[in-house]
Amino acid sequence: MNNSDILIIGAGVAGIEASLLLADTGKKVYLVEKTSLTGGNVIKYEDVFSNMECSTCMIAPKQQEVLQSENIELLTLSTVEKVQGEIGDFTVTINKKARYVSLVDCIGCGMCYDPCPVSLKNEFEQNLSEKKAIYVPCPGSLPNVPAINPKHCLQLNGKKTCNACVEACAFGAINLSDKDEKIEIKVGAIIVASGFDIVDPAGFPQFGYGKYPNVYTAMEAERLYASNGPTEGEITLRKGDAPPKSIAIIQCVGREQQGYCSSVCCMYSLKLAHYLKHKLPEAKIHNFHSDWCMPGKYYQKFHHDVKEEGVDFIYSPVDKIKVDGNDKGLSIEYYNGKNEKEKLSADMVILSLAMMQGKDTASLSKLLGIEQDKKGFFMNQGIQLGAVDTSKPGIFLAGCAEGPKDIQGSITQAEAVVGKVMSYLS
Amino acid sequence: MNTAENESYSPKKGAVISIKDSINKTIISFFKGALEKKIFDAVLIPVKVPAGDSYTWILIEDVSLFKDAAPIAPIMPVQGANALSSLTRKGKGNLKIAAIMRPCEIRAAIELSKLEQVHLENVFLFSFDCPGALPLSDYVQNPPKGEEVFESFFTKNKWNEESIKPICKMCDNFSLPNCDLHFGILGTEKNDLLLIPNSIKGEGVLNEMGIAFKNDLSEWKKKVDEIKKQREKTKKEAYHTIQPMVEGLDNLAQTFAKCIGCHNCMSVCPICYCRQCYFDSEVSKFTSDNYLLRAEKRGGLRFPTDIILFQSGRMSHMSLSCVSCGMCEDVCPASIPIAQIFSFIANETQKAFEYQPGRNVGEPLPLKEYKEEELQELKKLVNDSVGQE
Amino acid sequence: MSDKIGVYVCECGPNIADKVDIKKILAEISALNEPPEKIIIAKKHKLLCSKEGQDFLADEITKNELTHLVIAACSPRDHDITFMNVCKRTDLNPYLYKLVNIREHCAWIIPDKDEATEKAIQYIRAGISRVTYQAPLTEKELDSIPDVLVIGAGIAGIEASLSLAGENRKVYLVEKTSSIGGKVTKFEKILPHQGTDLDIIQEKIQAVQENENIEIFTETEVEKAIGFFGNFEITLKNIHNDEQKNEFKVGAIVVATGFNLFNPGKIPRYGYGKMEDIYTSMEIEESNFKTGKILLKSGNPPKSAALIHCVGREEKGYCSRVCCNYMFKIAQYLKEKIPTIKITEFYQDLCLPNKADQKFFVDTKNKGVDFIRFKDIAVKQKEKEKFIEYTKIDGKKEKISAEMIILAPAIEPADGSKGMAELLNISLDETGFFQEAHQKLNPVATSIDGVFIVGSAQNPKNIPDSMMDAQAVAGKILTQLIPGEKLIPEVIISEISEAFCTGCQTCLSVCSYGAIYFDEDKNISIVNEAICRGCGNCVASCPSGAAHSKHFTSLQIYQEVLEAIR
Repeated sequence: MNNSDILIIGAGVAGIEASLLLADTGKKVYLVEKTSLTGGNVIKYEDVFSNMECSTCMIAPKQQEVLQSENIELLTLSTVEKVQGEIGDFTVTINKKARYVSLVDCIGCGMCYDPCPVSLKNEFEQNLSEKKAIYVPCPGSLPNVPAINPKHCLQLNGKKTCNACVEACAFGAINLSDKDEKIEIKVGAIIVASGFDIVDPAGFPQFGYGKYPNVYTAMEAERLYASNGPTEGEITLRKGDAPPKSIAIIQCVGREQQGYCSSVCCMYSLKLAHYLKHKLPEAKIHNFHSDWCMPGKYYQKFHHDVKEEGVDFIYSPVDKIKVDGNDKGLSIEYYNGKNEKEKLSADMVILSLAMMQGKDTASLSKLLGIEQDKKGFFMNQGIQLGAVDTSKPGIFLAGCAEGPKDIQGSITQAEAVVGKVMSYLS
Repeated sequence: MNTAENESYSPKKGAVISIKDSINKTIISFFKGALEKKIFDAVLIPVKVPAGDSYTWILIEDVSLFKDAAPIAPIMPVQGANALSSLTRKGKGNLKIAAIMRPCEIRAAIELSKLEQVHLENVFLFSFDCPGALPLSDYVQNPPKGEEVFESFFTKNKWNEESIKPICKMCDNFSLPNCDLHFGILGTEKNDLLLIPNSIKGEGVLNEMGIAFKNDLSEWKKKVDEIKKQREKTKKEAYHTIQPMVEGLDNLAQTFAKCIGCHNCMSVCPICYCRQCYFDSEVSKFTSDNYLLRAEKRGGLRFPTDIILFQSGRMSHMSLSCVSCGMCEDVCPASIPIAQIFSFIANETQKAFEYQPGRNVGEPLPLKEYKEEELQELKKLVNDSVGQE
Repeated sequence: MSDKIGVYVCECGPNIADKVDIKKILAEISALNEPPEKIIIAKKHKLLCSKEGQDFLADEITKNELTHLVIAACSPRDHDITFMNVCKRTDLNPYLYKLVNIREHCAWIIPDKDEATEKAIQYIRAGISRVTYQAPLTEKELDSIPDVLVIGAGIAGIEASLSLAGENRKVYLVEKTSSIGGKVTKFEKILPHQGTDLDIIQEKIQAVQENENIEIFTETEVEKAIGFFGNFEITLKNIHNDEQKNEFKVGAIVVATGFNLFNPGKIPRYGYGKMEDIYTSMEIEESNFKTGKILLKSGNPPKSAALIHCVGREEKGYCSRVCCNYMFKIAQYLKEKIPTIKITEFYQDLCLPNKADQKFFVDTKNKGVDFIRFKDIAVKQKEKEKFIEYTKIDGKKEKISAEMIILAPAIEPADGSKGMAELLNISLDETGFFQEAHQKLNPVATSIDGVFIVGSAQNPKNIPDSMMDAQAVAGKILTQLIPGEKLIPEVIISEISEAFCTGCQTCLSVCSYGAIYFDEDKNISIVNEAICRGCGNCVASCPSGAAHSKHFTSLQIYQEVLEAIR
């Protein structure tokens, strides 16, 4: 039996790209996404390197296309639970969690947020701000329809009777009796585009993350700078009122431990430096680096330009860097090129953390019956031939699920997977 | 095409030619000789009309027609670039044509060549040190007087700034445009003029004619620079006077209050090459309702409407190529100093793009070219006013 | 013929209904009714984008035989397409409709209800005025040819050909040299780091030669490629014999012309070309492939070798991505063939972007290769001995002697890239590589629809990535150029009035898509409807208005604005 429907796991840039190309041919695409919105990690950035284009503006048209496509069935708040069968004939069970808000009736007016009495930390905003129990992760989320967190919603977790959001909605779009669903679909091929995670900064106590309030991860810094973020783009610190006057960006955190270079951190560290120079022209910004990984025709020029803006590049092996703090601020101890110990004070420290496999990689690989490689990412069987096959025919990889790469690499891989799928299914 | 070669050519020597009879007659005899030697097949040159009260462009093949020709004519009733455009718009011809025109006409022709309205292959451009032209209306009222006044520029060897068009008074581009050969009529001691090659093509003509060009150009350059300095000063003063006429909507309205919307200026402008002017098209025609509404809103409505729109629109379309030839002012029935106004604006816009019309055949029009870094001063203005990028 | 304009105001729940006085709007709009020339039907609805609302609209259009439709609701970004699709269900041409935004532009931003209502009325009147000047537009269908031309038979070109060729799709593979396979056929081993050898490549080469849907032309160049996506006319020319030509049509073109190495002779301090036994990485690969040995000019194996990375990196302004890895490979070749050799690798930064690269580096180090990070470096010679003089990252100046020096020069675009770009009307970026349509989201396409770029012709990359590019192009072409299916070009495009065009070609020079061509006979510029994307550059640049946009004519815009500012 040769089913030509396709399942794509993950609605980040790679998943979106693959889904649009396949949908254009009339094939039915199930785009399964575990969070409530599309766009993956890319929509967390204000701009992308190195052309510094507005990230959300860049992919919003694609996100819209996904929502309006007749051939793409977008299943948000959904995960894959079971996979059986083989290429051309997979049976997949999808666990679709209840959104409690109708995607058809809700028009995204946002009247339901204010009345909700419950606040909780917003993971999308890297816990820098809060959201209500009925929420969209950030302004501009697509689909622009809120979801309700059943663990925190008073009505749903049984703690109290509350109908505040239901009453505020003029369209009757909220249904608190919504139930989780199990959906069974049949597809011919599966594309795993589940993205990446960042290593836990707690694993590097020498940098003081969690201990000193003004040590941030790069993703937190992105959200601070983002115009739709928790501070609407103002660089306000966890401790202290004034914006930082000196900032240290420490690159290569986790490279040694992971055993590979994540290939994008040098570039996004330069991007952060550029952001901050822009926002705080008087601030002193220092990038602590070892190797500069800037492959390809565009990236070195960005490095040059950021240097010209007055950002200070300090060569220092990352395994010799330590961050200390006191009332006055933070102090970075490092060893320079001459192997002499030096100290630098800073108001803010940003850690450029290594990319690692997505949290669900282990469970997903078991479910799908495919292998992980030694680094923890999904194993790419065909790497020597530039292929994106897994150990199971009919299951392919695209994007950072396969390994660290930039957006251009993820898009190319997604398009390559589409090529493979088209060849197999025709 | 002489394009690439012209770009870096700098004339070092010229040929001295004795003036026989008059400067005009001397130039004519050069062309006669060239036609006879078949160096050109035809010459485009101003010729006095039979009634003797104006001049027109004639493409001469028969040397006898040179009888009433005047290479340096007292007036400019038709822009030479327009004549050349009629001739070569549809592509180059197989005949070799020599065209003798004023520097502003040469510059306009080069601008038109960038717009495919003139094709310069097989065209040899000749120019001369231009003393300016008399205002058309002055001349036609009394042609013999006009002839006399103009003649005196040459017999007395003194250019008379009083009688020429206001735009000519402030012209500092009156010598050595981007032509192939240039008649330098200034700065020679005896009764001579200089024939200066200004391109490889021009050199070729002189070689073919057997005319050696070994003479020094420094005397001529000195005289040219002298007059240039004078003109630059006049220009500055003139622009100073023009500026308040055009700054702000109120002043613009006042200046153009007497404009009758005849579009003469647009019709004679060499740079206005459109088949149908945008401002003559359907978009500038509105329903009666619309006019009534406008009248209602403002208390009254002037007819013809949208004069400032036409003037500023025409400015925005052609000012980067404006060569300050003054055709427009010559034909304005309402005596608006339109050439001076447009020259003032053109000076600003051309400065902003670091562009000079007619300076270089190979230099693309600013609109047709993309430069990543330009208008830095504008960028700075915007940044300063916004406070941040 | 009278205009029958249906104007429907959406309440959008409380969003619009609470913020503007819809009753007043309907009253004022209805008052515009001027039978028999202009009939206005004005109604409201609770939620037009809902299924029920859409059905209501379709019904209204048909029932009232509307000639035009104006919807006053939310942003076109949300529902322009929704309502166009409603029109498509009826007899009303979807381009005779206008969506007026009275939500984001009025209800959501003006607190005063009266003011918001006034503005909404103005907007709607403007929309009605505009819509009466709109013209019906229809989608066109173009036949497309599924076949593909691949230029360059290196590994990227070969992979593209294999991925694309099929029963219903022929691939023409053109190569200017006499053999296919490109640079990779000269490597003893290829990366990644399983030490994969050339069998894989040879299999691909054989596969492409045996594939009956791929026609290979060697010693051939592309002379002409004229047309547009779905329909390119190609002329090939034999490089030795001008007369020998081949002509055919394809639907898409893939540029896989590869790369060259920067000439290190341009940087005198490396001594290349001046001193003996200084080689480029490619020279070592080639001689190693031929003989299986890496020897000095004297015929002896080198006792010491210095491998210098980053040659030309600063001068070119970019990192060539692949050299660090292949230099580790070369170091490993040397260690394998000459176990006692002393190897020192000099680098500025280690570029190890792939998952397994760091391990490969560590393995190479563990095999006894010394790695030195340098700030400055030069090759000097004293009598017969060569020295590497270098400044380390700590500022210390040192020197070391080496019998053999191997340089990793920057990767440059292949010769003839400029000519190729002109031929195909695509651009080169400032580094000289072919420019992709979008740096992030569209790396294998160019600004010309149907012309694609893969491999190192686009950006220096390794073999797996080049092959990945090739498959990405296959993904694009297999989904967009389907045998038997028609192409539907953009509807809202530009048009140039023949009567008013003076042939100045200003529009042509500002068109980024090569969508305008000049007709020499008529002396006018003409828009190619199949290529035009409707960006409007030509419209803006044309002084006479001869170039106009089909759905954004000056008249339409003027009339809309005039009504709006009344």
